[in-house]
Amino acid sequence: MQAENEFTDHPKPPGLSDPDQWVDLYGDYLFKYALARLRDPAKAEDAVQETFLAALKGGKSFGGRSAEKSWLVGILKNKIFDYYRKASREMSFTDLDFYAGEESDRFVADGPGQGGWIHELGPQEWASAGESLDNELFWQTYRDCSGKLPENVAAVFNLREVEGVASKDICRLLNISDGNLWVMLHRARMALRRCLETNWFAKR
Amino acid sequence: MNRLANIIRALSPNCKEAVRLQSEALDHPLTGLQRIGLRIHLALCVWCARYGKQIKFLRAAAKQCDHDHTPGQSLSAAARARIKNRLQNGKD
Repeated sequence: MQAENEFTDHPKPPGLSDPDQWVDLYGDYLFKYALARLRDPAKAEDAVQETFLAALKGGKSFGGRSAEKSWLVGILKNKIFDYYRKASREMSFTDLDFYAGEESDRFVADGPGQGGWIHELGPQEWASAGESLDNELFWQTYRDCSGKLPENVAAVFNLREVEGVASKDICRLLNISDGNLWVMLHRARMALRRCLETNWFAKR
Repeated sequence: MNRLANIIRALSPNCKEAVRLQSEALDHPLTGLQRIGLRIHLALCVWCARYGKQIKFLRAAAKQCDHDHTPGQSLSAAARARIKNRLQNGKD
């Protein structure tokens, strides 16, 4: 990721609304965005406030074309990355305890076929998975399942799967090794897959 | 024939390794040898083939969840007022 210069990276679109209206227009949206990533309402509020303040400072018009909301989201994203960067200096984002067993009770332990799925316990067929994406009950289940991920694993999973940040950039941001990152992601996916299968797909 | 079978066995991962490799393939490029071994395994193992499809589904779901399906928790009235106030001061 480039060094953050939010004003050249985020030229302010011309003809913007009055900053007085920003909180009413965008406050909730930005808050939800931040909350999904920071999981703490107080931190999310701070991030939203910092975003608006930074936007105010960048008050000169650069004639950019991005929509006002996307512009603010862009600033918020950088604030969230800043938060992660700072947090990684005070605590470790590495979590090698979560799901450390990696479902070893579902694999053949020894003898011939060692390391193979125990047949009845392997991944099931997920009937019409695509249609589930249109079902609000599915999303509730999905949120419950991803809510079970511990904080650091969730952060790493979000950065990779939601934000699409490249592995090496996550490692640099959070100060973790790539090996540990990939282990955490593997376990997060395993846990999430298992949770969704048990609580949603197996019941269809 | 025996020798070929041994080579294949040596090249391809078992299921525990195959699911790990499929996960890593979503995060960084596998080596050529890893890819070949994994392909062989996936051709023969329906469970691991499902696993791979399913973690790709998770990726699609994660992206979509963010856009449309986060429930409405809004800024509290207190936070709203506080931020508006701070912005007013910030303008001066």
